[in-house]
Amino acid sequence: MASAFVAAFEILSFGAIIVLVVLGLGIIASMMGIFNFAQGEFVLLGAYVTYLAYSNGIPIWAGMAAAPFIVGGLGFVLEALIIRRLYAAPIVAMLGTYALGLIIRESVRGLIGGFYLTVPEPIGGSIDIGTMHISAWRFTIILITLLVMGGCYVLLSRTSFGLRVRATLENPALARASGISTPLIYGATFAFGAALAGLAGALIVPVFSLFADLGIRFLIQGFVAVMVGGVGSFIGPVVGAGLIGTLSAALPWIMAPVVADVLVFVLAIVFIKFRPQGLIAGKGV
Amino acid sequence: MLPIVEGVVLIAALILPLVLQDYLTVFATRVIILALFALSFDLVWGYAGIMSFGQALFFGSAGYAVALMARDLNITSIFLVLPAGTLIGLATSLLLGGFLLLGRHPSSVIFVALGTLTGSYAADRLARGWYYLGGQNGIPSIPSMSLGSYDITEGPVYYYFALGILAVVYLLCRFLVRSQFGLALAGLRENEQRIAFFGYKTQHLKAIVFAVGGTIAGLAGSLYAFHEGFVWPNMVGVVISTQVVLYVLFGGSGTLIGAVIGAVIIEGVSFWLSDNYREIWPILLGVLLLLVILFRPLGLISFVLGERERVGSFGATRKEKRNAAP
Repeated sequence: MASAFVAAFEILSFGAIIVLVVLGLGIIASMMGIFNFAQGEFVLLGAYVTYLAYSNGIPIWAGMAAAPFIVGGLGFVLEALIIRRLYAAPIVAMLGTYALGLIIRESVRGLIGGFYLTVPEPIGGSIDIGTMHISAWRFTIILITLLVMGGCYVLLSRTSFGLRVRATLENPALARASGISTPLIYGATFAFGAALAGLAGALIVPVFSLFADLGIRFLIQGFVAVMVGGVGSFIGPVVGAGLIGTLSAALPWIMAPVVADVLVFVLAIVFIKFRPQGLIAGKGV
Repeated sequence: MLPIVEGVVLIAALILPLVLQDYLTVFATRVIILALFALSFDLVWGYAGIMSFGQALFFGSAGYAVALMARDLNITSIFLVLPAGTLIGLATSLLLGGFLLLGRHPSSVIFVALGTLTGSYAADRLARGWYYLGGQNGIPSIPSMSLGSYDITEGPVYYYFALGILAVVYLLCRFLVRSQFGLALAGLRENEQRIAFFGYKTQHLKAIVFAVGGTIAGLAGSLYAFHEGFVWPNMVGVVISTQVVLYVLFGGSGTLIGAVIGAVIIEGVSFWLSDNYREIWPILLGVLLLLVILFRPLGLISFVLGERERVGSFGATRKEKRNAAP
């Protein structure tokens, strides 16, 4: 019983981490039609900012709070300088963002070297329920993921900013004709997606430690999750991420990890082949 | 202009081993094999417009297959291993391409790109975790390829052997893309719907060219495995897959010779810089790639080749028309 509970918690917390990483990827893919290959590097940057704060004696939580703003700001600048020129062709956008990601990743690798740098958890220790112990930090990650998810949903579905974003997604020409500055909306959406990735990186660095290939680890899983969930809505990628995250954390408990790893990808691709619109079809929130 | 560029490259490649030191010839052989690999990607992306982010899957599968043949069955005869590797490339690309490209609903470009990427990544993970394939370390010390009782070891012999294969495959590809089939492929890249309206089965065309690309990648992979003497998980993975994309984008996609030149330039500069500037080279590569994508989408080759030469001329030439006119 106790071990089943611990297993369930592990699966849930990994699922939450994947959802957190995919949120930004999904928003950029759904709202802008761009599969951002640099998203993994935004995660890495968030983690790096947190590490910098920690190594300079600034409290870790302050670094974590600053990370989304710094990464989001960088995202905004990159969108205005580079990404903006790539909207016309989705494949070229993939390659362009890949190049961006390469630049960021190798720069960080140059800065930290080939090491695995650890950052302690800001909330250490464990929560004891009877005889069971669960990590307090992982529990916090689950809570924050739920909060961020709720916040994004409200932002996109209930605020005027969200309305503008959805209008721009649905029909850019009509949105421009109605007086919405679509370039600004695209910039803000991209920055928001980047900020979410920065937050994800900041929160997971105590769990996975900091290394240059941190972002890559999640990128392909993230893409698959977005496709499984369905591009075009906010909720689709989130559902896809929950599913993929849970599956890839749960399957290794019942079969060899190598087989489980590959099986998740194969299942996902077969699923997308026969249901290209994903789990949740349609545009909007 | 195109024949001049091709001629210059061929002559340079022929005299290269005469002026290079031995260890540089070994390096040049590797570049030749990678250029062959780049050719396979250029056919798929540059002509048919299929983004294959997992081209290394066919390259690496063939490499692993011939490595296993050499390790477990002691087969190193050139007449067995090269056809076997090529067939493995054909088989894997037929399977993956058939699955991704055929079917009732035409697949989106994004799906094919992510599908191939995922396939390559999954193969990488499998190779890393599978003890029989050597896990993280791959399969070391593969014996040399043999021709009768003669061992083809690295050096000038291997270089000319690889160059010969590259030249033959290049000519075959050149013939292919200048045929009616190649014209249909170029049309596919420019406007798929229009080609479908002409009555072509676009999905079949794509699957065929994908398989041709996979076959060439398989041939390159088997050559690479025997040249390096070992195979390791990166060979099927995302790293090599994206590397080949870089070659072709740099050199110029859709020209064949651009892919070869791209491979030569990137590998050459990387080799030259790796002594002193190992850290900044990948960053520089990213910056250069970004600049090429933004300002020179047709690659470096577009400095010397015009747009018309990329597709080639079809139908009656001007001279024939003049002769036909009364």
